[in-house]
Amino acid sequence: MMETPALPVPEARSVIPAGLRGIFPVLVALVLLALFQWLVSESPFAVYLLSVMGVNIILAVSLNIVNGMTGQFSIGHAGFMAVGAYISGVLSLNLKEVALSFLPVAASDQVLFTVALLVGGLAAAACGFLVGLPSLRLRGDYLAIVTLGFGEIIRVVVQNTNAFGRALGLSGIPQYSSPYMVYFWVFLVVLVARRIAGSSHGRSLWAIREDEVAAEAMGVDTTGYKVRSFVISSFFAGIAGGLFAHFVPIINPGSFTFVKSMEIVVMVVLGGLGSTTGAIVAAILLTLLPEGMRSLFNALGTEGSLAQKVDQIRMPIYGLLLVVLMLSRPQGLFGVRELWDVLPRWIPRKRRGLS
Amino acid sequence: MAQLLQHLINGLAAGTIYALVALGYTMVYGVLKLINFAHGDVMMVGVYMGYATAFALGREARNSLLGVALIFAVAMLGCALLGFLIERFAYRPLREKPRLTALITAIGISFALSYGFQLDIGFLPGASPRAFPEVIEPKEWIVIGDRDVVVWNWQVISFLIAVALMVALQYLVFRTRFGRAMRAVSWDHRVAALMGIPTDRVIALTFMLGSALAAGAGLLYAIKDTSVSPLMGLYVGLKAFVAAVIGGIGHVPGAVVGALVLGLVEEFVVGYAASTWRDAVAFGFLILVLLVKPGGLFGRVAAEKV
Amino acid sequence: MSAAVSVTGGAQAPLLQADGVSIQFGGLKALTDFSLTIRQGDLLGLIGPNGAGKSTAFNVLTGVYQPTRGDVHVGGQRVNGLKPHQINHLGLARTFQNIRLFRALTALDNVKVACRAQGALHPHVLGVGAKMKNALGNYRDWWRALLLTPGFQAEERELTRQAEHLLEVMGLSHRRDEEARNLPYGEQRRLEIARALGTKPKVLLLDEPAAGMNTREKADLMVLIRKLRDDFQLGVLVIEHDMKLVMGICEHITVLDHGETIARGAPAQVRSDRKVIEAYLGDSYLESHGGAA
Repeated sequence: MMETPALPVPEARSVIPAGLRGIFPVLVALVLLALFQWLVSESPFAVYLLSVMGVNIILAVSLNIVNGMTGQFSIGHAGFMAVGAYISGVLSLNLKEVALSFLPVAASDQVLFTVALLVGGLAAAACGFLVGLPSLRLRGDYLAIVTLGFGEIIRVVVQNTNAFGRALGLSGIPQYSSPYMVYFWVFLVVLVARRIAGSSHGRSLWAIREDEVAAEAMGVDTTGYKVRSFVISSFFAGIAGGLFAHFVPIINPGSFTFVKSMEIVVMVVLGGLGSTTGAIVAAILLTLLPEGMRSLFNALGTEGSLAQKVDQIRMPIYGLLLVVLMLSRPQGLFGVRELWDVLPRWIPRKRRGLS
Repeated sequence: MAQLLQHLINGLAAGTIYALVALGYTMVYGVLKLINFAHGDVMMVGVYMGYATAFALGREARNSLLGVALIFAVAMLGCALLGFLIERFAYRPLREKPRLTALITAIGISFALSYGFQLDIGFLPGASPRAFPEVIEPKEWIVIGDRDVVVWNWQVISFLIAVALMVALQYLVFRTRFGRAMRAVSWDHRVAALMGIPTDRVIALTFMLGSALAAGAGLLYAIKDTSVSPLMGLYVGLKAFVAAVIGGIGHVPGAVVGALVLGLVEEFVVGYAASTWRDAVAFGFLILVLLVKPGGLFGRVAAEKV
Repeated sequence: MSAAVSVTGGAQAPLLQADGVSIQFGGLKALTDFSLTIRQGDLLGLIGPNGAGKSTAFNVLTGVYQPTRGDVHVGGQRVNGLKPHQINHLGLARTFQNIRLFRALTALDNVKVACRAQGALHPHVLGVGAKMKNALGNYRDWWRALLLTPGFQAEERELTRQAEHLLEVMGLSHRRDEEARNLPYGEQRRLEIARALGTKPKVLLLDEPAAGMNTREKADLMVLIRKLRDDFQLGVLVIEHDMKLVMGICEHITVLDHGETIARGAPAQVRSDRKVIEAYLGDSYLESHGGAA
């Protein structure tokens, strides 16, 4: 409505050959990530906080594919995270003593870790398919309930399975994770989300979000697209879970409850349903804010209980935040736009991807 | 055989309670096409109101018929008011917005209530479950054989209360002026408004009615379970919602049948398989039903008007 | 128009055929024994008073509703039970009475959605093998998009080109990058047609395309519809309230009332049909005017 007209298609001015455009950002990221790893690896606290933040970003960006771009509403993302965490965790535990002889130990560990992550992600994706298929054939709000129920089923299954440590949880999972690995996946999920958004698949998802009946009439296989977006989203939730499992001392069913799911939902809604950068910003904000408040209360030397209460108070505040957002600013921070669309005009803009 | 009968009785007793909560979901869905996610949590608040009243009355008074009636009255009226407030200030402003907006709001309210009640600040009760005082002294009313089959008084009472409320509701919806207005709003609230039906009032009343029913059901549940906790709304509410979907959401008798079926299935799984799987049953069953009969047992998948 | 008719003639196989289609909602018979044949070059009208079942007929043809009885064939294939998108892939596209654009998408993207959906045209033979192939092709498509392969980039450019062309045909080039919801009403209607054309249909169903337009716009639309039929070699079925528009452009008209077909034939023939006048103007009109007008 108040947009400047879109600039011409970028390939006209791109210096990167077409054949390399697909892989180029990955190469750049690998280098930058090494630098980043070197910078932060000194402080254990920074490593931990950044890892938590990265996992949250992966979760928020992946959930945004379903809740934002496709306009469905899943509130069981933590369930898929749990699947990834437990499957990859158990795998790593069992492969702890295994080393690939032709590689140095550290490299071998990372290879095994990657395999464990992928298996966890694929298991989560398979669960996403199983859950999505029946509910995505129906009206969107069924998905909310079914995903919520799915989270519960996962919890019950874990609590009844010895291999998953029942209610006690799994400990002793090798701590393979590093900011490098976490942010490599952050980078991947963002890249995937953006490339989907800019492709015909993304347009089909947006079309479903805008008007399912019309999308179907225009030849879009709405059920198929919904299920696929759900599968992709679950895959990355599983990856996030796997990463999480490899840097926390213990995972138990309590880490993947409805509360966690809601936290991710709040991030996506706050960032703006449909905005990838919005999800990132909100994930960073909602990870740092409670931490910051805790440190602040501690530093101020107020009653120690206040700092402890931060976690408790967070939950009802998230709930109210959702209500207030919906009543006053349902589009969240960015709406469906991306960060570069809302930046002040003097900063050079990227071409608007969509909408 | 006796065991089977016992499970049947327990299942039905649990099912009737789910049914009362499920009715609230189905009624609100009927008029607004909104899954009122906060319904279970409104119920939970009602139970705490009843709990507070029971304590205020003291041991003597709460065991009298009048005392019990008072506890129910306070909880149901309080919940009706809460339902009214939520509808008025959270849902009504969003009525013409995309459905997702209202759904997110409902989830937010649910979250705020269930986790807000876990704080121990001010009057809020804190996270740990509390023992619900004995309001109806448990008695074995019917005993068959050598305690092979036992029917408790609260089972019979809650069954009777639930059936009475359902009959009253069926009468209300299909035999009264208000019920007709409700059905009209359910069909198309814009057209209903054009026909001179005060849609706002009908929707508000529907919310209040559903919330009051939920409070009643919640009390029956708390009496059975002898405990009350901030998360009970989430769990009972979800199961009731599942029941409503199984029956075909928006369909009043369907909700009741769905709830009874769910109560029985849960009871049999707990009785014959393992009790630790109880919480997974409802959702497993839900996914199964959605796969086989997407509209629920009685509902049809309504094609969207194009 | 006469040229198109003479070129294509009436001999070739029907693109769309409905045989004795009926649909019932509960006890309500929304459509009874509805039959219709569309061939390339046809420009047919479907008229009737409000609630006569016109839109229901559209919805049955496009697969939104399933007929309780009767068959629908598109391009020679029976489509009962197929989903709307599958029927669309067989060559049937439509617009909506109450405009249903993808409101937050730009005009260009609206059309590109439609163009794309046809890109991977799969034969909907519902065998397991075909389904597998379909699914595999789909996943390959996703990977191509994620890896930004040169082939994918070329495909995107091609889609853009196609969509731009359609916008131009519909006179919407100046709105290319505007969000659909910000377009004026008349342009929204035209964008819907552009979008429908994006799916490369053989048959185009237009649901009240002139609703809300002024006389001038309507006249332009009449010309446009004919031009589209000829340029894109379509069969067109138009639902319209405006009798003048229908009589002006359609060669053959079907009249529905209460879900039943009460008349069909050339415009002049239909206009003087007693039942049609009765349906539109009521019995009393006939009584006071003594028979057909």
